[in-house]
Amino acid sequence: MSVKTLPDAPGVSDPPEKARPRFSPTTLRRAPHTGLIAVLIVVVVATSLRTDSFATDTNVINILRQVSVVAVIAAGLTLLMTAGGMDFSMGSNVSVTTAVGAQLLAHGHSTAFTVVASLVLATLIGLVNGVVVTFTNVAPFVATLATATLLDGVALLVLNSVSVSTGTKMFALGNNKILGVPYLLVVAILVLVATALVMRFTVFGRDAFAIGGNEHVARLSGINVTARKLSLYALTGALSGLAGLMLLSRLSGSSPGTGGLSLQLQAVAAVVIGGTALAGGYGTVIGTALGVVLLGVVANALNLLQVSSNYQSVSVGGVLLIAAIANEMHKARSARH
Amino acid sequence: MTTPRTDAVLRVRGVTKSFGGAAALKGVDLDLHPGEVHALMGMNGAGKSTLVQVLSGVHQADAGTVEVNGQAQHGLTVHKARRLGIASVPQRRELAMGLTVAENVLLGDLPTRGGAVRWKAVNSEAGKALEALGIDIDVTRTAGSLTVAEQTMVEVAREVRRGGRILVLDEPTACLSSEAAHQIRELVRTLRDEGVAVVYISHYIDEVLAVADRITVLRDGAVVRSAPADEFDAAALVRSMVGRDVVSQRVQRPAPKVEIGLAVHGLTDGRAVRDFTVEVRKGEIVAVLGPAGDAQSRLFDLLSGRRRPDTGRLAVDGTPVPFGRVHASLASGLRCVTGDRRALGLVPELSLDENLMLARDRFARRRTHRRAQLARRAAPLRRSYGVVSLAGNPPVGALSGGNQQKVLLAKWLQTEPVACFLEDPTNGVDIAAMADIHALLDDLASRGAAVLLASSSAEEVMRLADRVVVVSAGRTVAEHDIDTITHDELVATALGGQPQ
Repeated sequence: MSVKTLPDAPGVSDPPEKARPRFSPTTLRRAPHTGLIAVLIVVVVATSLRTDSFATDTNVINILRQVSVVAVIAAGLTLLMTAGGMDFSMGSNVSVTTAVGAQLLAHGHSTAFTVVASLVLATLIGLVNGVVVTFTNVAPFVATLATATLLDGVALLVLNSVSVSTGTKMFALGNNKILGVPYLLVVAILVLVATALVMRFTVFGRDAFAIGGNEHVARLSGINVTARKLSLYALTGALSGLAGLMLLSRLSGSSPGTGGLSLQLQAVAAVVIGGTALAGGYGTVIGTALGVVLLGVVANALNLLQVSSNYQSVSVGGVLLIAAIANEMHKARSARH
Repeated sequence: MTTPRTDAVLRVRGVTKSFGGAAALKGVDLDLHPGEVHALMGMNGAGKSTLVQVLSGVHQADAGTVEVNGQAQHGLTVHKARRLGIASVPQRRELAMGLTVAENVLLGDLPTRGGAVRWKAVNSEAGKALEALGIDIDVTRTAGSLTVAEQTMVEVAREVRRGGRILVLDEPTACLSSEAAHQIRELVRTLRDEGVAVVYISHYIDEVLAVADRITVLRDGAVVRSAPADEFDAAALVRSMVGRDVVSQRVQRPAPKVEIGLAVHGLTDGRAVRDFTVEVRKGEIVAVLGPAGDAQSRLFDLLSGRRRPDTGRLAVDGTPVPFGRVHASLASGLRCVTGDRRALGLVPELSLDENLMLARDRFARRRTHRRAQLARRAAPLRRSYGVVSLAGNPPVGALSGGNQQKVLLAKWLQTEPVACFLEDPTNGVDIAAMADIHALLDDLASRGAAVLLASSSAEEVMRLADRVVVVSAGRTVAEHDIDTITHDELVATALGGQPQ
């Protein structure tokens, strides 16, 4: 036996059990969103090489205008999913809002009244989701899938299964521009920035992280979890209402099938592609914004390359799958090192 | 290091491992022999876990060699290590809680005929596996109904049955009653007699001295001393672990005040807590001694407001507090510190600083959150509670157990509690951190808080408490002033006997 003596350490250090940034190519790989940005660049470069009409001001603005509605929904969903919640009914809430808004305008109500009524209705729908989820312990996925189906039906009833046109009423929001930037895009950017600021700089936002990370701890630490969840669901409802008004204005009316599950799935896909954890506790608005843009760019590129719409659906599904796998691999890599 | 013997089943030479520039292991040597219990000792973050993870293939060493049965292993993976008979039982038990004991023992290897599970064979084989190790558990029980000690035994049996010849036990007796810990130690001796090489990690000095054949002490990622256990005594062991003498001795605190800070009357909840009554004066520490998970975690649920009891009354500072409401409990000035920091204590994804301030910022009704401000407010807390972190402000889940525990205590004790309930506050922390935490609790009581301490360690109770209430199976079996009872009498009472 031999004894090796060491100089006395002043304190006991704690070696990090997880990865810390290191200056090497792996740093880049582990930084958030690099995979997403790389895919985005590849798609953009590849499409620009194949067609001249892609990288034009008009087309880029057009893409961003098209994704604005999804962006508003996805922003709210990011915050909610970070808190461990889920709202599958946002797209259907949009259907109801556009249907009700279209009918109100068509029946001669003022734009102001229509806007307020639609937003209040959408918020209430969100709040009902929140009440069900918070007080009955039904899984958010199940509860909101049920309300989604229910709302789809309500939207059809309101429209009486026919398209309703709003003519020139409330036309500006969906079609006008300020300094070359569409109003829709301005609204989407404002919502995304506001959500990002809330998540980073307010206790309300940090509470969402705490609740999503560990609801028991959040409650024991004095966070009013019930009230927080209700406000989060109400907020996603309100944002669905805003998205609905944006869509109503852009389409100058509402028809059966506007919004609904396909819109919802785009938003969920964008949030998941952006790396927000389905189980809660982690989420970023920047990731969501990149996810929204990526989906929009892919759809636009396939359009310009004249790929048939059947293949477009296949491609969007593929992008989602690849992004989800990449996120998991990223997580596994960070956990292992 | 160790005297070279030819029959070493596992030989580690000069293993180094660093994480992002911070060296966790610096040239570690280790020899494991069959039929030997080899204890790994060291403070939180000394490198025990990293070493074990290198052995079991979770991490690959940056340099150095690992030899198993005389053959050098390169690029050891978890799978490969398993095949070589290296198995570990982690601190968090990993049983499928919905399955039976038998299914868990045979997991992944259920005997079948034509695709159908042969249940008779499952039960008899599992029974044999348990019996071979002298474990007496009904194999048809579900894993979820087992005590922590029984879960450990089932996991050990599973690993041995799978061919585990090198078995790593990571704090197998943490949070166990002395009786259950005794059973685990018996199991370890059986394993040794069966020729298994056991790596035993524990913070309990006396236990290690009793059970280990050889002790290797790590400090700051290097082996400080490796020798047969009988060449160590408790003081020497602590000295080599910490690098200095650590004293955690009873201190004289100011006499408790007359006012009752925390009063619990006739608290009853199912079978877990039966007619529990205790009055804690301000400045007094009253200990509830009993096996962990017995009445203690239920007491946490009840006092924190997570759960409503069948009957009972609670008063903090003379004011009645309704049960079943977390807000009411917090508003009364009662602070409950859980013994289960993973499930009920910390948010692993949030940063160290944010976890530290989670409760206080909510009490202060802050609305905005600024990282720079938060770091400024958290800095003195990190210092006074001795939370050490190399990497700035990492997620709290990345800290070692001891540091997490200090974060948990700091989170609650800084909020100036009127009364405080603590469940196993030194759970899984090293000896120096334990002394620090004991000093923090002394300080808490000296500042006039009424402290109710649930503990499974008689040493801790003797060190801290003014009075002790002994509970068993939910019932209060004895109550003593601490200066009217000796340590051995206390242990005997806790075991169910009467003090001589």
